[in-house]
Amino acid sequence: MKCEWVKENVLLYVYNELADDARYELEQHLARCADCTAELKTTRKFHAMLSELPVEEPSPNLVAASRMRLQEGLETAEQGRFWHRLIFDPAAWLRQIRFAPALTAAIFIVGFAGGIATTYKVVSGNGAPIISGPVSTPAESSITGIQSISQDPGSNHISIKYNTVSTQEAQGSLNDQRIQQLLLFAARNNYNSGVRMDSVDLLTQEPNNMHVREALIYALRYDSNPGVRLKALDGLGPYVKSDPRVRDAMLETLVQDANPGARTEALHLLEPVRADSSVRLVLQKLAQSDQNQYIRSQARIMLAQLPEFD
Amino acid sequence: MPAGAWAVPFAVGECSHPVVRRDPREEAGGIQDPQLRGHMAGQASGRIDDTLLVREAQRGNRAAFEELVRNYDQAVLRLALHLTGSEPEAQDVYQEAFLKAYKSIGNFRFECSFYTWIYRIVTNLCLDHLRKRQVRKEDAPVATDASGQQYDVLDQIPDGRSGANPERDLMRRELGKRISHALEKLTPRERMVFELKHYHGLKLRTVGEVLHTTEETAKNTLFRATQKLRGALADMR
Repeated sequence: MKCEWVKENVLLYVYNELADDARYELEQHLARCADCTAELKTTRKFHAMLSELPVEEPSPNLVAASRMRLQEGLETAEQGRFWHRLIFDPAAWLRQIRFAPALTAAIFIVGFAGGIATTYKVVSGNGAPIISGPVSTPAESSITGIQSISQDPGSNHISIKYNTVSTQEAQGSLNDQRIQQLLLFAARNNYNSGVRMDSVDLLTQEPNNMHVREALIYALRYDSNPGVRLKALDGLGPYVKSDPRVRDAMLETLVQDANPGARTEALHLLEPVRADSSVRLVLQKLAQSDQNQYIRSQARIMLAQLPEFD
Repeated sequence: MPAGAWAVPFAVGECSHPVVRRDPREEAGGIQDPQLRGHMAGQASGRIDDTLLVREAQRGNRAAFEELVRNYDQAVLRLALHLTGSEPEAQDVYQEAFLKAYKSIGNFRFECSFYTWIYRIVTNLCLDHLRKRQVRKEDAPVATDASGQQYDVLDQIPDGRSGANPERDLMRRELGKRISHALEKLTPRERMVFELKHYHGLKLRTVGEVLHTTEETAKNTLFRATQKLRGALADMR
């Protein structure tokens, strides 16, 4: 009868899963029925007992370690879906505009009329930079803002001024200043580590240029992606003897880079300058107290190969 | 290179989306209901933030994905830790779950919330883990003690954690162990439903969604699981 229903639902009641009206009826019944109240008590006791296996909060160490391990995993994970970058997402595009639907139609009209693809190429001689004109199809130029809208009074004519960012393309050889400028910019500023890696890769072919070397050092010190940092290390390697800045940047990497591969690579690249006093100091410290066994032993070996001073 | 690479703001570069702000309700420690052990709800930002982050992540923005992870990873770790009982195993589940999410975020079509989606991934991994464990259990070395009770030899390995009150700790660990044993008697699905509902406070409707089934089925599974557990733990006070 009623008790049967209550006994079936007392579990849901304890979990707060009952609908409001069912909960009300159950509580009303409990007020009058000792049997069912006892059943509720038993269920609650059972639940309390289950908390002898408590849900523990993961320790901060565990959280941090998991995050770091995940980050390393993400670096190597395949994101082979670059077609995603080319997707034109109309929903996001329209949301950027934040408009009443009626006017967005007007924008489409203006956009298509004013932004028909105009591509042109300038070709001049061998190796000279070839610059293409702005390619602004609606898919590739994103609207960054609407400047003004006005409607001719008493007519259907609407005019809208909007700003766009359009993708351009530059082609040329590594010697071109413009190409170098873009590469330097990309190495520092692109949020996509793949693009940063590509630019650093190209820059390593030209590290004689002061700016390029600075960019490589910057990438080595500050890039968040260990692959990019390793690339920069590769490019700077040959200059460790001639340029003290390069040596110092590598020392920093050796001491504090989060990635053991980068540290090891830096250690090996510092070989030609191991006799320098700053390098020796670092090696001594590492040989004594570094966490990483390989680095400790390598540092010891390098120190052992040094002629004895003071 | 600063080891705190998690601090990279995702608005670097050509991103033209508004910067995501943390939902102030979340900061105030939102959910007041003591019954609701769903810390997940308190940890996650509001739905709209997730949508922006997911879209960014789908475009290849890793920092956005990392921000998403930060919204959910403690809850995921908590679930994996309680279910597996072991920190390294919990870490493995965590790693697999988020790597899987990262690789397949392109297929996420917003037909459910990201919350449900990530929970589904983790739950499926946990189910696999439970099934593997069941198979291993059949071969686990079992011995009989003086009173004729069977016990798992592997359980005799001491915990290594020292408490202030060793006897009470021992008692508590005993009880905890018995509950663990009883939970292991459930089928993987029953265990999962019970775990999500009882230990992590998810609503039955969410549990159903996460397991790709109806609320009604989740409810019945919960009933079965509870009955089995009561039977297995009948002699515990």
